[in-house]
Amino acid sequence: MTTVLTLQDIAPDFVKEVIHQGSDVFGKDSMDTINDCIQCGMCSGGCPSGRHIALLTRELIRLTQLGLKQEVLASENMWYCTTCYLCQERCPRRVKTTDIIRVLRNLAVREGHLSEAHRKILEIFEKHGHAIPINEEVKAQRRRLALSEVPPTVQVSDEYLEEVRRLFTSSLLAEVIR
Amino acid sequence: MNNTGVYVCHCGGNISDVVNIPQVVEFAKRLPGVSIVRDIEHVCSDEGQKIIREDIAEQGINRVVIGSCTPGFHEKTFSDVLSSAGLNPYLLEIANLREQCSWVHFDNPDAATKKACDLIAMATSKVALNEALEARTVNIGNRVLVIGGGIAGIQASLDLANAGYRVSLVEQEPYIGGNMARLARTFPTEDCASCILAPKMADIMRHPNIDVYTYSDIANITGHVGNFEVTLHRHPRYVDEDRCTACGKCAEVCPVSVPDEFEFGMAERRAIYLPHANAVPRKYLIDKNACTECYQCEDACTAGAINHEQRPEDITIKGDCIIVATGYELFDAALKQNYGFGRYKNVVHAMHLERMIVPIGATKGRFIRVFSDKKEIKRIGIVQCVGARDEQVGRINCSRICCMYGIKHALFVKKKIPDADVYLFYTDVRAFGKGYEEYYKKAQEAGVKFIRGRVAEIYETEKGNPVIRAEDTLSHRLFELECDLVSLSASITPHKGSEKLAHLLRIQKDSEGFFLEAHPKYRPVDTRTDGVFLCGCAQGPKDIPDTVAQAGAAASRAMSLMGTGEITLSPIKAFVSQACDGCGVCVEHCPSSAISLNGNALINEMLCDGCGACISSCPQDALGIRHFTTEQIMAMVATLLQNKKGVRVVAFADKTTTYRVLDSAGQQRIQYPPDIYSIRVADASQITPKMILETFRLGADGVFLGEPEAGSGIHHPKTIEVMVENVKKAKKMLEDAGIEPERLDYGLYITVWAQKLAGQLKALEKRVGELGELPEERIARLMEVSQ
Repeated sequence: MTTVLTLQDIAPDFVKEVIHQGSDVFGKDSMDTINDCIQCGMCSGGCPSGRHIALLTRELIRLTQLGLKQEVLASENMWYCTTCYLCQERCPRRVKTTDIIRVLRNLAVREGHLSEAHRKILEIFEKHGHAIPINEEVKAQRRRLALSEVPPTVQVSDEYLEEVRRLFTSSLLAEVIR
Repeated sequence: MNNTGVYVCHCGGNISDVVNIPQVVEFAKRLPGVSIVRDIEHVCSDEGQKIIREDIAEQGINRVVIGSCTPGFHEKTFSDVLSSAGLNPYLLEIANLREQCSWVHFDNPDAATKKACDLIAMATSKVALNEALEARTVNIGNRVLVIGGGIAGIQASLDLANAGYRVSLVEQEPYIGGNMARLARTFPTEDCASCILAPKMADIMRHPNIDVYTYSDIANITGHVGNFEVTLHRHPRYVDEDRCTACGKCAEVCPVSVPDEFEFGMAERRAIYLPHANAVPRKYLIDKNACTECYQCEDACTAGAINHEQRPEDITIKGDCIIVATGYELFDAALKQNYGFGRYKNVVHAMHLERMIVPIGATKGRFIRVFSDKKEIKRIGIVQCVGARDEQVGRINCSRICCMYGIKHALFVKKKIPDADVYLFYTDVRAFGKGYEEYYKKAQEAGVKFIRGRVAEIYETEKGNPVIRAEDTLSHRLFELECDLVSLSASITPHKGSEKLAHLLRIQKDSEGFFLEAHPKYRPVDTRTDGVFLCGCAQGPKDIPDTVAQAGAAASRAMSLMGTGEITLSPIKAFVSQACDGCGVCVEHCPSSAISLNGNALINEMLCDGCGACISSCPQDALGIRHFTTEQIMAMVATLLQNKKGVRVVAFADKTTTYRVLDSAGQQRIQYPPDIYSIRVADASQITPKMILETFRLGADGVFLGEPEAGSGIHHPKTIEVMVENVKKAKKMLEDAGIEPERLDYGLYITVWAQKLAGQLKALEKRVGELGELPEERIARLMEVSQ
């Protein structure tokens, strides 16, 4: 399918928005590297997820550079990233590819986009206070190692769990999953 | 007794339309030491020049002040006038009444006239202290040392030798020809590399003006332009070069086999060996690390050339100039770990593939899996940008030659094995040279598959086949391409010996380790060390045509330096006064390594470029720059500030850039307040914190220092550091005296920044105006602090 881009598709300040959004966490210098990408394809060429699914890191960076905000934020693409950081480690222009994807996800969530899988993880988190709650198998293993059955996290007390839930509800995350 | 003549120029109205000339003339007549004042329509005209000459001859005028256009314009004209009248040309000062007065203050004739008077007075006080200086001419010979015997060094040597210069060509390897000797064909014409190189190498060996030193390292270099002394360390060949006939009988009996470095390990050679089939000089040598000293070679040699007892030898040679042509090494592809070079037997580098083209090379001209099953290849992946455009290995820049040699390799595989699959993975194809795009198209037409994507990784199958992972960014498809062989098109890196050489020659290196030229545009083969020139890949990656052109340029620069047999040294150099106590602090401070210690500090005038960076380092104030001495500069400051009324800002402007920027402001009629006065100095780094404070003490309300921007190639970058440090120290001292440090400022300029400089000066003047004139009691405190 050929898409003709017009000015209506382009959010001219999108790159600035991404840089601004990510600067607190990753630093402005890291975020500025969006502009350094030369589309060589080294990131996508070696992406372990991209071999199996539709993720093309290079393309995501390109669309961001072009300011195609709606397309980027609505794309399912970025949710396939496992944040393994292989591409970021290799990038010959030192573009902080993985960091940038993480920031794009933040912006996507604000706009109401979230992958179903990630939404489910949040649900589990709300319920258990952990993305991956402890199970019987792990408990048995811990017993064998002479450790307490449940590690000293929110899982040991309903009181702690309640507190985590309170934090969760007061944050944006709670809205996102509903 | 000073008899100063002052000549005020009307400049055909350029000055006289704004400045009231009669008033300036009357003022000048009352200045100390002035015996004649004249105003002339055009001082620079024949008539004007004649008047000055007559005054010198008949009226006993022995110092001259000219109020005219900028010294940048006619200083040479007027100093020639003095010389022709028998007066030393340095007994001249020019007051800049046009560019820095009438042209910038055209809307305020009264202020311009007042300023013109001040400028004449300042020039008069300086000229009174000027010394008669002699430009020294020193003889220079015709000997050139060329370091590096690759195509760059060969070309430079031949150009020089053919013009009659004496050349010593030094090569580290036992043969000349460098990397080019290893190449099969050259892009895009596909001529045979040795066919180009062999005749040139033969010329080198038989040229009466060239001495060749192979298998020799540079152990040390001392001296300077006109007199470099170089110590060579010659490795023993253990074979008498004069006797060896290269019959090869020694190698036949040698029982030792080791990997052949010339073939990058694709073949083996003996411990006694000829470096390669076309080696020049065609002489055998023994690799003592491999040799078991069985002495069979000695018995086999009918010429009696073998000498196992040979010792290394240190030789000293002299050169008036040096040409650095140390070339390159291939980037170590093993550093890109994701490509598996060194781990996977079927991943080779570009030089391996290059040697496979050579009919007499290790593979006899066949493209095979040379390090595994030796089978002919049917599918090859050529990987571009290995160690180039890659910040992960510190190489941000393009290596310039790899695209074309990669295409050449692809074409030769296709030529040899027409049904082979040839995939070339690239980031961008940079086919910039003459005929290069045509060559690219030729490869497309030959069926080479160009994949636009940088290879992410290579892994090996159980059968030992390398698999390339990459995205074809044009089709958005991911490749997983199993090949018989992968060749890594590696970049060019500086020769590993260049670190030491940079130190010995006092030349700089760029961020990637290549030698830095004095200026990228107008001095592309010069270095910051006089008499040292660069060419070839030592200066940066380049192809053979560019290398040969640059070698010619370096030879020609050396010839133009030596051509007349003498070089003239400007007398504007650092000097050491009696006050020196030999502490030696300045030695480290000199960016040109021109100061040595022999009891007292000693300036080598061949090396000193008169920058002044040493001055502020001296605890005894014993250093200075001739014609721009501290005393002369401060005399101008004192003259300007005596009986001053209102605010005065003194701008010390370096003569090569900042002063010209101010002239340029005048030429563009960019205005700034008339109470800003520039004083031309050798370099702003010569203005010490003490001088800055003294300027305030004498009554300045603001002080400014201007210096060329780093990288402008004019002065050594270190002078900027020194100036900034001086300003910092002075600001601290001002604060201690209760004086606002914002009265002091500095700027770095390139010549086109007139608007910026004027703006900065205006801002300083405004700031100072708001702070007001410096009160007496704070000046008194300043005196205490500066003690």
